[in-house]
Amino acid sequence: MREKLVFILFLIALTSICDTINQLFLKSAINSLIPPRGNVRAVLRFIIKLIAVPRVWLSFLFSLISLCIWLFVLSQVDLSFAFSADSMHYIFIALASRFILKERVSLKRWMGIALIVVGIALVSLS
Amino acid sequence: MFKNKLTFKLLFFLVLTDFLETFIHLCFKKSTLLEEGVVITNSSELFVFLQNVFSSPFLLIGLVLVVGTFILWSSLLSRVDLSVAVPICSFSYILIPLASIIFLHEKVSLFRWGGVLFILLGVVLVSLSTSEKGRALE
Repeated sequence: MREKLVFILFLIALTSICDTINQLFLKSAINSLIPPRGNVRAVLRFIIKLIAVPRVWLSFLFSLISLCIWLFVLSQVDLSFAFSADSMHYIFIALASRFILKERVSLKRWMGIALIVVGIALVSLS
Repeated sequence: MFKNKLTFKLLFFLVLTDFLETFIHLCFKKSTLLEEGVVITNSSELFVFLQNVFSSPFLLIGLVLVVGTFILWSSLLSRVDLSVAVPICSFSYILIPLASIIFLHEKVSLFRWGGVLFILLGVVLVSLSTSEKGRALE
C-alpha cells in the first residue's frame, strides 16, 4: 500500500515536471512574440502565430506525455487526492524559475511553497 | 502595463474557468473509470490502456474544454493581474474534492480537507507575491 502511494506520488511528480518543462517552452515561445492586447479575437490571432513557433510543439509533446501519465494516475487513485497532490507543480515551477530562468523567488513565495508541501503531505497521509 | 479593475464580468469568467477546470478533471477521471486499478507491466499493455482511454467520449469532451479554457484563460490574463486571477482560480482545489464527493462518490476525510486548506493558502501566498514583483518593476 505504502509502495503504491510512493509510486503514484512519483508519477504525479513526473507529470508536474513534464508540465513545468511544457510551461518553460511555452513561456520562451511567448516571449519571442509581441503579446496580444484586448479581445478574444486578438488572443486567437496570437495563438495562431504561436503555433508556428517550433518550441510550442515541444511544449505540446510534453503536455501529451503529462496527460498520458495523468490518465494512468487517475485510473489508480481518487481524483480528490490526485488533484491536490498535483499542486506540487508550484514547487517545480518555483525551482525552475529560480535555477533555470534565474528569477528571484521571494521569501513569501518560498513560504507559500512550504505550505503546499505540508498540504500535500497531509493529503497523502489520509 | 495597464490592467482593468476586477469587474463583475471578469469575476464571472474567472469563476467560470474554475468550474470548467473541475468539469475537465471529472471528464478525465470518468474516462479512466473502466480501467480502474489497471496493472501495466509492458509497452503493449500501456498502448491498450491509452487506446481504451483515448477512445472514451469523456476524454474528447475534456480535451475540447482544455483548449477552450486555455483560450479563455489567456484572454482573461491580458485583463487581470496574475496575482488576482490565480487565487480566484485556486478555488478549484475546493471544487474538485466537492465534485469528487458528489459525482464520483469518493470519500474525503477531514484530514484531507486540512491538506487542501494548506495547499490553498500556499497557492494564494505564492501568487500574491507576484504583485510585489510587478510593483518593484514599475
